[in-house]
Amino acid sequence: MALLLIVLLPVLGALFTGAFAGNNARLNSLIAMLAPLVSLALALSLLPAILQGELVLAHWQWLPRLDLALSLRMDGLAMLFALLIIAMGLLVLLYGHFYFSGKPKDNQRFNGLLLLFMTAMLGIVTSENLLLMLVFWEMTSLVSFLLIGFKADQRAARRGARMTLVITGGGGLALLAGMVLIGQIIGSYQLSDVLASGDQIRQHSHYPLILLLVLLGAMTKSAQFPFHFWLPHAMTAPTPVSAYLHSATMVKAGIFLLARFHPVLAETDLWLYSVSTVGMATLLTGAFVAMFKHDIKGLLAYSTISHLGLITLLLGMGTRMGLIVGLFHLLNHAMFKAPLFMMAGIVEKATGSRDMQLINGLWRYMPYLMVLTGICAAAMAGLPLLNGFLSKKMFFAETLQSPFTGVLGWLTPTLAAVAGLLSVAYSVRIFHNVFFNGLPRDLPVFPPRPPARGILIPVTVLTLACIVVGLVPQYVVHTLLQQAAHAALGAPLPAYNLGLLHRFNLPFLMSALALTGGLVMYLYRRQLFAIYDRMPEVDAKENFEWLMLRAGNFAERQVHRLENGSLQRYGALLVATCLVLAGSALTGLTTWGGGVTTPADPVTVLAAVILMAAAVAAVVIHRQRLLALLLIGTCGLFVTLLFARFSAPDLALTQLSVEVMAVIIMMLALSFLPQTSPRESSSLRRLRDLILAVATGSGVAVLAYTVMTRPAQSISGFFLDNSLTGGGGSNVVNVILVDFRGFDTLGEITVLAIAAMAVFALTRNLQLKERVTRESGSYWASEPHPVILRMIARPVLPVALMVAGYIFLRGHNLPGGGFIAGLVASVALSLQYMAGGLVWAHQRMLTAFRPLIGAGLLLALATGLGSLAFGAPFLSSWFNHYHLPLLGEVELATALLFDLGVFMTVVGATLLILANLGNLMTLDGPGKEIG
Amino acid sequence: MGIPVWLEAVIAILLLLGALVAALGSLGLARMPDFYMRLHGPTKASTLGVGCTLLGSLLYFSVSGEGFSVQEVLITLFLFVTAPVSAHMMARAALHRRVQAVAKTTQPPRELGRGERNK
Repeated sequence: MALLLIVLLPVLGALFTGAFAGNNARLNSLIAMLAPLVSLALALSLLPAILQGELVLAHWQWLPRLDLALSLRMDGLAMLFALLIIAMGLLVLLYGHFYFSGKPKDNQRFNGLLLLFMTAMLGIVTSENLLLMLVFWEMTSLVSFLLIGFKADQRAARRGARMTLVITGGGGLALLAGMVLIGQIIGSYQLSDVLASGDQIRQHSHYPLILLLVLLGAMTKSAQFPFHFWLPHAMTAPTPVSAYLHSATMVKAGIFLLARFHPVLAETDLWLYSVSTVGMATLLTGAFVAMFKHDIKGLLAYSTISHLGLITLLLGMGTRMGLIVGLFHLLNHAMFKAPLFMMAGIVEKATGSRDMQLINGLWRYMPYLMVLTGICAAAMAGLPLLNGFLSKKMFFAETLQSPFTGVLGWLTPTLAAVAGLLSVAYSVRIFHNVFFNGLPRDLPVFPPRPPARGILIPVTVLTLACIVVGLVPQYVVHTLLQQAAHAALGAPLPAYNLGLLHRFNLPFLMSALALTGGLVMYLYRRQLFAIYDRMPEVDAKENFEWLMLRAGNFAERQVHRLENGSLQRYGALLVATCLVLAGSALTGLTTWGGGVTTPADPVTVLAAVILMAAAVAAVVIHRQRLLALLLIGTCGLFVTLLFARFSAPDLALTQLSVEVMAVIIMMLALSFLPQTSPRESSSLRRLRDLILAVATGSGVAVLAYTVMTRPAQSISGFFLDNSLTGGGGSNVVNVILVDFRGFDTLGEITVLAIAAMAVFALTRNLQLKERVTRESGSYWASEPHPVILRMIARPVLPVALMVAGYIFLRGHNLPGGGFIAGLVASVALSLQYMAGGLVWAHQRMLTAFRPLIGAGLLLALATGLGSLAFGAPFLSSWFNHYHLPLLGEVELATALLFDLGVFMTVVGATLLILANLGNLMTLDGPGKEIG
Repeated sequence: MGIPVWLEAVIAILLLLGALVAALGSLGLARMPDFYMRLHGPTKASTLGVGCTLLGSLLYFSVSGEGFSVQEVLITLFLFVTAPVSAHMMARAALHRRVQAVAKTTQPPRELGRGERNK
């Protein structure tokens, strides 16, 4: 439980900040920090057990048939990352509070998203189930999209966010494929099982594919070459976001993945060469480009890329010591890179710029920040007595003992030293350029505003951490690191001592060389900048945008081939699909089944003939829209009569009221169209439609005939038997609607609501040209709303509403119900519209149709869910009989509440459609929106 | 359960009358020369014709069934309220759209025609 809380508390905090804090920035940040604080306390309470080498597991079922379980795991590796994530998150929240000072709305949004992100990251590192890990993995991609696009009104931010989402999200998909492959080979998605079967996977023929997919996931997330380009573009994010996502957490997720799957995938030649090549390429590219970036955050981004490459290289070399060094450097990197990002944010706020060509000599204005930055930059460069020195020296030592032989054997340490040299150069640059190097030039804000005191707290804390870890690593991080490496390796560790690292040896010499080389390089920077400026520029963003545009256009073209916006085509495809599917099933039909048992009486035959004639006539004269509509209405009325003839009063009532409503609404819609439709389709197309229609119609006829003539076991017996006992109503149709098949009804009214909303959305801003003006024809009948109809409509309304109420109440036992009652009420209300006009009607009625629809849906849903509270399945109805004075025996059933929901939805939906279509009809076009 | 013969005769006459009026109404709808005249047919059929039929039904079920039959009364009531209104609306719609009437029956509206008459 503690584990689950650790992961979920931040998200709860996010909900609380959103719900309660409002505009009070201080309260908001306080709540936002409270949740991770509790998380941190819980994590620390587990720490002693973890340091003892224990493994804490927690397991809940989620979707067992997909092997997706909510199982969490806390071991050394997870603990290392969890502490990093929570602690850094707390500091960044504190930093963000001051960074966003004066913008409480932004601060609130930032807090919420950051907490959400924290949960996602914690989820990744503590997942025991591979699929669960993927869920969190994608969650980080999505939330980072929102965080990078924080300033959504800026184009660069949107593009950066989109690029990140595409790259990391795409990597996530590759990872999903890899995980599924692993799960299929092992037969389990539990991490413990997977970690135990490394040999099985390594020997499997799919191993290269799995490795490729998992690496794709890890490399995209950790911005490894050649996917590194998203990280600099993600710098459009607010600086707190960069400090958290792009130095400490998200970009480390890929590293975590490599470490986590080390026992499963590592220690093969393929792993060695692929991972270390990528790592080395990233290390050098990042370090080289970083030197030439004039934007502080750009420099930091490329330096982050290079450090991530360094860690990847260490993991790739696959030595056990390498893993420890990698994790150690990961920790150190978070400690010195995050404060540097924070510095960038402070400087930007103070001076209004991040361009190092402008920002110079800030030591006068921010001496304290200068000291802190100096320490962090020194740690990044790898100066002795600081944490960066230790991990970098260990890195050099590892490259000297790399598993490579021959040329690679000495090339690796050489390149490592070059990268070290470059990193010294850019570290010196970020410190010297910002705080010294003459005087500020043309700053947007001058003199620089001094930073708030509080914003320096997180920077100070992290800087102190750099020093402490650098001085006495063996006391601070050693045990945890050891447990983390142990968990990642799944094997005993080699002996080492972090405390002895300050001694002089060959790696020390490499460090010293890198240091002097870097300083020299910085001294000659102007010449180097000049050379760099002459190099061809590759703009990743433009290329990426071009690629995305091309991909989007391509996809659009492909979609348009099938989906060309023609309703006729969709209709034809739909009908053809039905025809093929049902027709292929019908080909198995060998006999026609039994004979017809019900004799045909002349009246029924006559009605059927009229029905058919009307249908055929509607097809023939379909160009005259109004006539065709009337003929369709005739068909509907005759269907109603047939329902009544064959003892289906519920259906007849429904059909009748639907028909009335449908004709009214269709007439409204038709009034926007010409009276006759032009001839547009070719004769070939008409032939196609004719064939389709005839075939489908005959198919339905055959289907109906065969079903009705063969003695089949139908389900109706069950409904008849159980309606009264199980559903508490003697109207079987209604009991089916609200109880047996209540879920269907819920779905149907949802569809109805969606349709009404669609009409609302479509008509809301629709401007129709050229409405027919009222003047034509007013010569004879000038009154738009004749007085006779108006006067008759008024007394009809209460009567009709009473009928609706009557039908509604008796629905459970006698023909009726919420649907019919809703339609009757709608018809009565639409009569008021017709008689008095839109304005007249709206002055006299409530028009909150959308809330009505929503309330209806919610009521129906709540009634259904209510049965869950009593341990019954969804939508079971409860009923009992009461004896009330005066009224006598009364039955109360929850089905009535459900029916009320149906009623409200139906009334709301029909009136919403009617009123909005009617609104379009008014002469002045769309006025105030209705509903 | 016997119904007196004279009552049966009344019911039969009512039903026949209803059917006759309905048939005449339909005939009128089919044969009358213009819209305004055609409107008369169904209006008469739906009030007088259906009314007679309902009266017959009312008598029959009130005597043979379980007491006084209310439905027919209600149906008649609603029919008598709504049928004229719908006919009126149709006539107005036709006027609004300037549907042509047969020349014999054409007469200008009173207010505008006054000057004409004075000539």
